[in-house]
Amino acid sequence: MGQGLLVTIPLTVISFALALGIAVICAMIQIADVKGLKQVVRFYIWLIRGTPLLVQLYLVYFGLPDLGIALPAFPCAVAVFALNEGAYCAETVRAAIESVPKGQMEAGYCVGLSYIQIMRRIILPQAFRTAFPPLSNSLISMVKDTSLAANITVTEMFMTTQRVAGRTYEHLALYAEVALIYLLFCTVITWLQRLGEKKLNAMNGGNVIRA
Amino acid sequence: MLEIRGLKKAFDGHEILKGVDLELDKGDVLAVLGPSGGGKTTLLRCLNYLEKADEGTMTFLGQTMDMPAMNRKDVAAYRRHTAFVFQSFNLFSNRTALQNVTEGLIIARKMAKSEAEKRALAALERVGLADKRDAYPSQLSGGQQQRVAIARAVAGEPDVIFFDEPTSALDPELIGGVLDVIRALAEDGMTMIVVTHEVRFARNVSTRVLFMEDGRALASEPTAVFFEEQKNERIRSFLRSLDRKDD
Repeated sequence: MGQGLLVTIPLTVISFALALGIAVICAMIQIADVKGLKQVVRFYIWLIRGTPLLVQLYLVYFGLPDLGIALPAFPCAVAVFALNEGAYCAETVRAAIESVPKGQMEAGYCVGLSYIQIMRRIILPQAFRTAFPPLSNSLISMVKDTSLAANITVTEMFMTTQRVAGRTYEHLALYAEVALIYLLFCTVITWLQRLGEKKLNAMNGGNVIRA
Repeated sequence: MLEIRGLKKAFDGHEILKGVDLELDKGDVLAVLGPSGGGKTTLLRCLNYLEKADEGTMTFLGQTMDMPAMNRKDVAAYRRHTAFVFQSFNLFSNRTALQNVTEGLIIARKMAKSEAEKRALAALERVGLADKRDAYPSQLSGGQQQRVAIARAVAGEPDVIFFDEPTSALDPELIGGVLDVIRALAEDGMTMIVVTHEVRFARNVSTRVLFMEDGRALASEPTAVFFEEQKNERIRSFLRSLDRKDD
């Protein structure tokens, strides 16, 4: 099971990091109203949110080889998880950016900053503070969703557990143990979330009261 | 120094500015008065290109420009000479008072950090808030936030500052402090356009008054003439109604 954890952790971390990148890019395209690309982003989010994650995994791992695109299991899982989570997080990030008052952008223009500078230095840091709790939520979901990768032969934690259980028939003990490890993993993330929120709050001088 | 001719602006076919002229000399303090919905704020926002004018020419520092034709680069260059103070302050929430002032200096004007901080501190000193340099906007009162916003405006050493109802969002007891700061700027010779409902302030501080109603300038004249020799019956009744409120 320890070996499985060594797959689960990088699978989660890499996928989520990529998902965040996808989310910010998709959110920015929607906010900045980039012609053409905006429709592509909308389509992508619609497609991903409208189909089950497990089906997406099957489609990419077992389906795409029919078109001559055969990815090894681990990269395939990373790609699917990143694309899947990216679509959900894109909406979180977009909502958070839109929650920053318009006056922040105008004030930025008036002191001579460019759109990109205002976004990067003023708007996104404030949006990140708003997006942080729901993004942590997404990360916690993802930790557990990675167990689905067992279905496409990724030997992550759950797959390893299944194998051991198949050999020893200690189902209750083994599945309880793996549940406990997921729980522990998520507890650490919850704890980190609280720490992060405190830090982000301090960076804005406590609770923001917006006039 | 600043001259506007035939400024027009419509939103969704609804004409808010119907051809406004305006002129301002260096050191002038132009008070823009008039009833709500008359186009005062839209005029000011067009002057700093927060709204794009539909028609109109602007002559600024000897250069004449067609306002709707200004591109992003022209606007950025123009804004280096101006500053804007908002009704709702709009301080950067994730920056301290000092950082709010230095942000534009360091990032937009590429000033060295130490130089920018020196200048920002002097600006905060000017509005009486040097001791709040490390406070975030959420830790400041509305009046203090607006004074920091004025410090941010002053620090860029603009040729003209636009004030959009700078005291309208403030509690009554905080208004005086902000008006005192603006008055001090006027005494230092700062050129300003102030959209305001504070008639007494306009009378005591401004050098000219522009009266806006229904998208037009009903009057544009020296302050003394506006208040003491007002011939326009509509303006006289507007001023009378405000006098009653003051009592």
